[in-house]
Amino acid sequence: MSVFDGLKFRRVYSPIHNLDPRIKFIYVCAIFVIAIMFGELLPLIILFTFQIPFVLLAGVKREWIRSMRGAAFLATIIFLTNFVFAYLGARGIGQSLENAVAMTLRFIVLIESFSIFFLTTSPDHLGLALEQTHVPYEFTFAFTTAVRFVPVLAEEAQTIMDAQKARGLELERGNFLKRIRNYIPILIPLIVSAIRRSLELAEAMESRAWGATKKRTNLYVLKMHKGDFILIAITIGILAVAIYIRLYLPIPSINQLLANIN
Amino acid sequence: MAVIQTRNLTYMYPTATKPAIRDVSIKIEKGEFVLITGPSGCGKTTLCRCFNGLIPHFYQGEINGEITVAGLNILEHPTSELAKHVGLVFQNPENQLFALSVEKDVAFGLENLGYPREKMQKRVDWALNLTGIYELRERAPHELSGGQQQRVAIASVLAMQPEIMVLDEPTSFLDPLTAKKIFEVIYELNNTLGITVVLVEHRLDLTAQYSNHIIIMNQGKVVLDGEPREILSSKETRLIGVGIPKATRLYQILKEDDGVKLGKKIPLSSEEMTKLLREVIKT
Ligand SMILES: Nc1ncnc2c1ncn2[C@@H]1O[C@H](COP(=O)(O)OP(=O)(O)OP(=O)(O)O)[C@@H](O)[C@H]1O
Ligand SMILES: [Mg+2]
Repeated sequence: MSVFDGLKFRRVYSPIHNLDPRIKFIYVCAIFVIAIMFGELLPLIILFTFQIPFVLLAGVKREWIRSMRGAAFLATIIFLTNFVFAYLGARGIGQSLENAVAMTLRFIVLIESFSIFFLTTSPDHLGLALEQTHVPYEFTFAFTTAVRFVPVLAEEAQTIMDAQKARGLELERGNFLKRIRNYIPILIPLIVSAIRRSLELAEAMESRAWGATKKRTNLYVLKMHKGDFILIAITIGILAVAIYIRLYLPIPSINQLLANIN
Repeated sequence: MAVIQTRNLTYMYPTATKPAIRDVSIKIEKGEFVLITGPSGCGKTTLCRCFNGLIPHFYQGEINGEITVAGLNILEHPTSELAKHVGLVFQNPENQLFALSVEKDVAFGLENLGYPREKMQKRVDWALNLTGIYELRERAPHELSGGQQQRVAIASVLAMQPEIMVLDEPTSFLDPLTAKKIFEVIYELNNTLGITVVLVEHRLDLTAQYSNHIIIMNQGKVVLDGEPREILSSKETRLIGVGIPKATRLYQILKEDDGVKLGKKIPLSSEEMTKLLREVIKT
């Protein structure tokens, strides 16, 4: 079962989890824009470190590190291509290195902020946010139902697999095409059961007045709390500072700084 | 006043070659606790689907005869409208819960009806309290046990305050003790709130004592319909293969084979039997 554990969402409470997903999303977009605005290493380092408190506050350090590790491969490729091209473009080694690190860091900052968003936003919160930004309810419902039933289907797939293996099905046998064919006895019961499940679901929805009125209401509403206003302030603040720096201040490169110290 | 009345109701699923229910004429009064039972495949579920219009609106197929529920002709009203009057609880709790929290699931019907938020919250809390799952309100339904899930399913229908609750084998996935607790909850709803209950069930041992009307079906037809004590002690019932409560059967054997008559009232549960025996021993 452990393979499928990752599909289950856990309900966690933290100041970051409680934030309004819409505001969080705006924050992520702001970070995104700022990361694109700067190609220099120094501001990107600041941007990267700036978000670490969020991770700690949300208590998702382990998951976050895992997702960053997942991005490591792409990051390496970005670093290498940038370095090679800058070097071939006849810049100095130091300059090329700094440039490549900056580009890589920019990518990492993007991943960082998106992973914070998705790691700290529960699916029902996200569904609610979608609903209240006037995304049609059918779509939101499909989303939350998918989140609800994916682990169930995964579990069922495992059960069917075990059952078919017990009846002598060998999954790991034969060449590539044969192996794909081996999965048919698993797929067919799985699909049949999923269809039956969805029919029962539709029946239950009908029985609870699905589509009775055009004006559907909602038990939960997203309300802005203190934390959300703080996050808005932070977002506006860093955007303003970033724009000011971009327009009026020269940004020293790390190489220059190092040279000055010597 | 009858809240459910059918006359010669016959229905055939679109893919079928013979009707699943045939010539069903029943009358269910307001406030009754009705048990529907009969062998597997005799059309109990099909009949339940007629009560809130899933048949014919959702299933299509061919329907004949008359059926009115809560004064409405189901052929003329969509399920979403009938849902305000009739709540339907299904066999498998897993596939009737779809939200990510219990509270949200219980609110689903009210949301669909467009209830204002404060009123909705009150109703949800009320339903959660009545079914004894208030503490679970923030949990995810799919992480609950079968018994808890079935309570959520009942609460989610109850929240809409229907006049009639139809429960189709709501405990078939549960152990006898958990099932007993669910039946007690259902009986409470009938007894204290006056909700008309239609319960499809095989375990008569646990449920017969609550009922005051029993309908026995066989091969798509209603074969017996009336007072539980009379029907459960009749020979026909036994021949159909209905699981008669052990207390009732014991009473019957003593009466038929040994000519012993324990009191006037035919017992429907072990508690009632115990009472009869105590009286006999005393005298
Ligand atoms: N969706 C369907 N499509 C076609 N035929 C169906 C459908 N559902 C049930 N039937 C048929 O209708 C008949 C009555 O089935 P129904 O499910 O009402 O029986 P039941 O009394 O509820 O049985 P059980 O005790 O097993 O739940 C059966 O012959 C069954 O095969
Ligand atoms: Mg059935």
